[in-house]
Amino acid sequence: MADIDIVIEICGSAGEGTISAGEILSRHMSSLGFEIMSFDSYPSEIRGFGKCVAHSRISNQQILSPGKYTDILVVLNDSHSIPQLHAVRENGVVIYDSQPPAYHEEDKSIAGWMAPGMIAYGIPLHSLANKAAGSARGRNMVALGAMAALFGIDEEGFKTSIMKRYATKKQVVIDSNVNSFEEGYVWAKKNVQKLDHLTFSKVKLRKVTQNRIIINGNQAVAQAALDSGIKLFAGYPITPATKIMEIMGKELPKRGGIMLQTEDELSAIGNVIGAGFAGKRAMTATSGPGFTLMTEMTGLAVMAEVPAVVVNSQRGGPSTGLPTKTEQSDLSLVLAGGSGDSPRIVLAPSTVEECYESTCLAFYLAEKYQTLAVLLLDFFLSNSIRNIDEPSLPDKKMLSANISPSKTDLKDYRRFQLTESGISPRALPGTPLGMFVATGLEHNERGKPAYDSKTHLEMTEKRYRKLDGILKEVSPPTWDGPKANVDIGVISWGSTAASAHEAVLKARKVGVNAAFMSSMLLVPLNVDHFVKFSAACKTILVPELNYSGQFAAHLAQYLNRPIEKLNRITGLPMPSEDIFEKIMEIADTQKR
Amino acid sequence: MDHIERFYIDEKLADIKKDGFLNYRSKELPTWCPGCGYFGITQAIAKACNALSLPNENICVVSGIGCAGRYPIFMKAYGFHTLHGRSVPIASGIKLANEDLTVFAVGGDGDMLGIGGGHLPHIARKNIDITLFLFDNMIYGLTKGQSSATTPLGQKTNSHTKGNPDSPLKPISLALAYDASFVARGFAGDLDGMQDIFMKAIRHKGFSFVHLITPCVTFDKVNTWDVMRNGYHPIHESHDVTDRIAAMRLAEDQRFFLGVFYQDEKRPSYQEYLRQIHSA
Repeated sequence: MADIDIVIEICGSAGEGTISAGEILSRHMSSLGFEIMSFDSYPSEIRGFGKCVAHSRISNQQILSPGKYTDILVVLNDSHSIPQLHAVRENGVVIYDSQPPAYHEEDKSIAGWMAPGMIAYGIPLHSLANKAAGSARGRNMVALGAMAALFGIDEEGFKTSIMKRYATKKQVVIDSNVNSFEEGYVWAKKNVQKLDHLTFSKVKLRKVTQNRIIINGNQAVAQAALDSGIKLFAGYPITPATKIMEIMGKELPKRGGIMLQTEDELSAIGNVIGAGFAGKRAMTATSGPGFTLMTEMTGLAVMAEVPAVVVNSQRGGPSTGLPTKTEQSDLSLVLAGGSGDSPRIVLAPSTVEECYESTCLAFYLAEKYQTLAVLLLDFFLSNSIRNIDEPSLPDKKMLSANISPSKTDLKDYRRFQLTESGISPRALPGTPLGMFVATGLEHNERGKPAYDSKTHLEMTEKRYRKLDGILKEVSPPTWDGPKANVDIGVISWGSTAASAHEAVLKARKVGVNAAFMSSMLLVPLNVDHFVKFSAACKTILVPELNYSGQFAAHLAQYLNRPIEKLNRITGLPMPSEDIFEKIMEIADTQKR
Repeated sequence: MDHIERFYIDEKLADIKKDGFLNYRSKELPTWCPGCGYFGITQAIAKACNALSLPNENICVVSGIGCAGRYPIFMKAYGFHTLHGRSVPIASGIKLANEDLTVFAVGGDGDMLGIGGGHLPHIARKNIDITLFLFDNMIYGLTKGQSSATTPLGQKTNSHTKGNPDSPLKPISLALAYDASFVARGFAGDLDGMQDIFMKAIRHKGFSFVHLITPCVTFDKVNTWDVMRNGYHPIHESHDVTDRIAAMRLAEDQRFFLGVFYQDEKRPSYQEYLRQIHSA
C-alpha cells in the first residue's frame, strides 16, 4: 500500500466549467477518504475570456498547504495553460485536447511548450464531448473521465458525484455531463498507454470515523457565526468577503436574524455596534479597503465598550489593490487602525478549522470583554476548500457571555465601574434601573464625559486590563518541536503559518533541527511564549505574505534580536516549499 | 415681592409636575447657550414621551457630534453618544436588534446632512422604524460658527466671511425624495406644535423624519428668533398627508411650512417587511 500526495490543476477560460470540474474532483476524492485542499484562482472580470485555475492537492496524509508543484495539469485552454507549465514537475503529466476545434498559432499550442521529461496525454476532448452530448460544453467532464481512467479512480462512484453536483438541474444537463464523463473514461481506457506511475487505486486510506464536511474559510466563518447565535449581519459587498454576506442572507432569516446590506462600510460597522449595544450578537465582513473605512468606528467600540465582530479577509493592497489575489498586508492596519490607544482583540486563523474556532472565540470574547474583535483571514483562506471533521459547537458558556449588573450594582449603577478585570457589568437597554449614556468621549464610571488626566489614565488602564483576561481564555501559541537548542525557529501567522508548519515538519524529517510557533491570537499576544521560543532558537525565521515584514516588525519589539524574513507578494498563497528551501538555506549557512 | 416670587415658583412647579416631562429629563443640566432652541426641543420630546407613557428604559437615544450630540446626556433613557455623522446606522442596529425599543436618532444639520448625509437615503428607503430628529440651526455651533449644509446662500459665517457660496440643502424635499414614510417640520419656538408632531412621529411604524428649525443665538445673527417666528406658517388643515406630490409642492413653496407634510401608514416597516417575505 502506497502513500499519495499530488497536485492537480485544471486550467481553462472562465465559463468553460474549469472551477466546477475542480470542485467535483475534490468532492469525489474527499468522499473516498482522501484529504483535500483546493484553491481556485480566477480573474476579477465576471466572465469575458479570463483565465481560471482549479488547484487541488489530494493526499492520504495531513495537508497544510496547497502545494507549489503540479503533478497533473489538465489543459482546457492552451494559451492560458502555458504559464501554468512552469509549476509542473519535471516528470509531471499534461492532459490536453488533441483535436482542438480551432487551429492554434504555432507558439500558442501547449504541446510546443512542454519540457522533454513531461508526460503528455492527448485526448480529443472537444470531439468526444460533441459525440456524447452534441455540444463541446462537456469537455471538462470528458477530461474528468479520462483522469478517472488514467489514475485509477472508480468510474461509478465518480458518476454519482457528478449527478449530485447537478442534482438541481434538468435531466438533460445531468445526462450530458455523465455521458461526457463516460465518453472520456472509455476512450482513455482504450486508447491511452499509461506512462506515469500515479494512481489512487492502491492507496491506503485512513478510516473516516466522523462526519466530514467540505467547506472553505468563508463558509466556516459564516457557520461559526450562525452557531454562535448571531442576530444581525451587516455588510457591504467586497471581494473576498462577499460570500459570508450571501450565506447570512440565506441562513439568518431562517433563525430569526437579519442580514442587512448597507450603503457603505461605515454603516455596516455602525449597525453592528448598535446591535451590540442593544445586547445582540452582530458581525460584519470586509476586506482591506472596507476595513480602512471601518477604522472610523473601531475606537468607538473600544471606548464605549460595545461588542463588535469584524472579519477582514485580506487581498493585495494598498488601495483597491489586487481584489482577487491573496496577501497578508493588512496586519499593521488591523493591529492599530483607529485613533488613540485602543486595545482590541485580533484573531488570525491559519486553517479552515481555525476559521470556525476563531469566529466562535471572537463572539465570546467580544461579548464578555465588551470590545472589538477582528478576525483576519485572507483571500486564500476565505476560498480554500478543505474537508474537515464536523467542528464541535460552541458550549453554553461561550453562547451567553455578557456579565450583567447585579441588583446591588443597579442600586447605584456605574456602567463603567473600575474593576480588577477591567470588565464592568453591562446593563442592556430595557433594564429598568440600568440607564446610562455610552459615549465615544472619555468618561467617568457613570459614563459622564470627563477629560481630567486622572480619569483618562484610570479608564485607559481599565480598558487595557481586559487584555490580561483575554490572554488566559485562549490556548497558548502552538510550539511544535524541541523546547531548547533549536537551530531554526520558524514563526508565522494566518494562512502562512500552516505552510510554515508543514515546511518545518518536512525539514525535521530530513534531519534539520527546526521548530515552529504560531498563535491564532495576535492581540493580545502571548509574549512570554514567543520570548521563550526565541531564546531556544539560534535563528528565527518569519515567513509572511507582505513586502515589508509586518509581523516580523511587530515581533521585533518583543524579541529584541535580528529576525530572518521570507516575504512573498506574488498574489498566491505562501508555498511551504519556499519556506522549506529557506530553512535548508539557513541550515547550510549555520553549518559553515 | 417675596410673596410674588413664591407664587410664581409654585405655579411653575405645578405646571411642570402636570406636564410630567421631568420624568424624561436626567439630572444633568444642558450645556447649551442661554436662549438656544434646543431647550424647547428637549422639553417637547420629553412631553411627547410622557404623553405616550413610554417606559424610560425602553427608549434609546442615539446622537452624533455637535451641539445636538450632547442631547442623550440630558434625557432619562438609554443613550449612545456616538461619532460625527453616524447616529443613524447605530440607531438602526439597535432597532434591528431589539424591536421593543423606541429608538431616536438626533443630530444637527452638520451631523445629519453634512458628514452623515450619506446614510439618510438608505435609512429612509429601508423604512427602519426609528425617529430622526434633525436639530437644524443652519450653522456649525460647537466649532463656533462655520457654514453648514443648510446655511443660506450668501450668509456671512466664520468660514465664509464674504458670504456662503454653497446653496443650502432642503431637508424636507430630500426626505420626500428619499421616500421617507413620515416627514414633518417643527419650530423650536412652538412647543405644542412640536409635541403633536413628535407623538405622531414616534407612533409611526417606519422611518420618521422630523426637521426642527431653531436659531443659533450665539453664531447666527441673521436667522434670529424674531425672523423665524414671523417666517413660518402652519400647514393648512386641508393638506392631504398621504399625497406625496402635494407634500413636495409644500416643501418647494417659497414660504416655510410647519406640521406633517407626508405620512404613509400602509407601507410596512423594514422588520415587518422581512417577516412578511420570510414567512411566505
